[in-house]
Amino acid sequence: MQRPVWSLPLSSAVISKLNRRGYQCTADIEHLTTGVKEEEASEVLDLVDHQRYPVSITALELLQREAELKPIVTFCSELDRALGGGIPLGKTIELCGVPGIGKTQLCLQLAVDVQIPECFGGLGAQCLFIDTEGTFFLERLREMAAAVVRHCSLLTEDQEQQDAMRTFTVEKILSNLFVRCDDSMELLSQISDLPAFLSDHPEVRLIIIDSIAFPFRLHFEDLPLRTRLLLGAAHQLAALATTRNTTVVMTNQMTTRVQGEGSRLIPALGENWGHAANIRLLLQWIDCKRMATIIKSSIFSVSIILSVLLPVHT
Amino acid sequence: MVVLRAHMCPGLELQLVRDLREADISTVEELVSADLEALAQKCSVSYKALLAIRRVLLAQHTAFPVSGADLYEDLLSSTAILSTGHPRLDELLDSGLYTGELTELSGGPGTGKTQVCFGVAVHIALHLKQGVIFIDTTGGITATRLHQMLQTESSSLEEQIAALQRIHVFQLFDVFSLLDCLCSLRRSGLQPVAVGGACVRAVIIDSVSAVISPLLGTRHTEGMSLMMQVAALLKALVKDFSVAALCGWGCAPCSGGVLEPPSPHTAAAGGARPEHTQLQLLKVCNAHQVLQTALSHESGV
Repeated sequence: MQRPVWSLPLSSAVISKLNRRGYQCTADIEHLTTGVKEEEASEVLDLVDHQRYPVSITALELLQREAELKPIVTFCSELDRALGGGIPLGKTIELCGVPGIGKTQLCLQLAVDVQIPECFGGLGAQCLFIDTEGTFFLERLREMAAAVVRHCSLLTEDQEQQDAMRTFTVEKILSNLFVRCDDSMELLSQISDLPAFLSDHPEVRLIIIDSIAFPFRLHFEDLPLRTRLLLGAAHQLAALATTRNTTVVMTNQMTTRVQGEGSRLIPALGENWGHAANIRLLLQWIDCKRMATIIKSSIFSVSIILSVLLPVHT
Repeated sequence: MVVLRAHMCPGLELQLVRDLREADISTVEELVSADLEALAQKCSVSYKALLAIRRVLLAQHTAFPVSGADLYEDLLSSTAILSTGHPRLDELLDSGLYTGELTELSGGPGTGKTQVCFGVAVHIALHLKQGVIFIDTTGGITATRLHQMLQTESSSLEEQIAALQRIHVFQLFDVFSLLDCLCSLRRSGLQPVAVGGACVRAVIIDSVSAVISPLLGTRHTEGMSLMMQVAALLKALVKDFSVAALCGWGCAPCSGGVLEPPSPHTAAAGGARPEHTQLQLLKVCNAHQVLQTALSHESGV
């Protein structure tokens, strides 16, 4: 069976040139290409090169790799237990919840927790915080950073930990990487830029987007276009997360669905957006208590739907 | 449309190819349907030589008809039915996944498509001791989960390790890589992944919609064409190598337990794959018990 030329990732100008010359499938191009410019020809020949196999790994190797990745603790013991130790590395996580439930607070906490030095069981990594809503509170981050530093200094036992504590200070934690995006175009271009950014900053192991919903819910009349852009962006983030063992945390807002007589709250951005993240956590008020429910996860069997109590001061 | 090239077959020299091109014959189709006598005169080459070339080209490029009886024999000897590991799902699928067929698993977010795919992979690797190719396009594959499932099925560590080694994972994130992967698997006859005597029996893709959805719905039709290309490659793969294919497709969740009709995209895809079975997953209670599933057969639509 032939692979047609239009299924190669080439520009449509090159494809139409090839078709005009009668090259409809890759078997035709294997030998010669004439009539296109030299760089284009070598690009085409490279793509047709049969020797490139996508690489596979066995599940055993994948398991060994996963065993080396430490999760990011949230300091909420029940949530950590439900997630198997903390937020896993290399996955995309979506936090949905009504305003004021604590999504941004949880994100700020994670931004601090990812920086805990390795000798204390943390990752000793950095975080990129992309703020689209303007809800990033430096004072709150300072409080959390101070609390974590205090917590670690109380646990210090050996020399290695003492050495680490000298550099693990509030100022160091606050020298996080922070970006403010005002609209959807800025956010999308920021996301496209992330692979290059991560190559320059290999210590970054956590990317937080708070929130991904806000820029897309304003001024977007063309809903199918919105869905396509969002799914494309989420997919880029998933690729990034998996190939670089980085965690991506996105917060989402809630919207109301009217069904028959009543209505209920569902995560915003449409129904197809539900497929975007690997893990979805829904934060909600139940009997005046903050509860977190895992509504989608590939790590746990579907029968576990756990609601955990979030402490008031995360 | 195959372009004529020198040395494609004995007798087709470079000079002859040039002469034919001057006579406006540049592809195999044009040569085979041309008037050979007139062509022989125009290109000053013998009629017999052209006839011989035409016979060889036809032999190389035509499809050969097979009798129904032979086809049936072939089907009986090469088709295997692979259990999915879930008894209720096997019942619905008439004993399991058939090799040589493509099964599509569609459902809303969080309904359990990935878990079903994991369960099938684990079952085939552990109990049937056959190889599985798992193509992950969402980043959702977690070997820890596969290991958990293996631990519930078998207590022997060697068996668990052997089963994990039989599952080969490709992590791809765009449709062109997916096409590259399927093409290379087809070209290599699934050989590079047949390790330790375990031949590959199933190809699982979770999920096809993740790479295709961002391309659908625009004015340009590349998205649809690429989707058809993926479907055609998968069909060819399952037929040629007698493997079963299971692909996940994420769709909008069903409301109130009423099955919504499949989106135009799955219907169009279904039309291109007349032998696929489409499973709509409404709710999966746990990995071993399917509560409500609906099955629709698309035959020759």
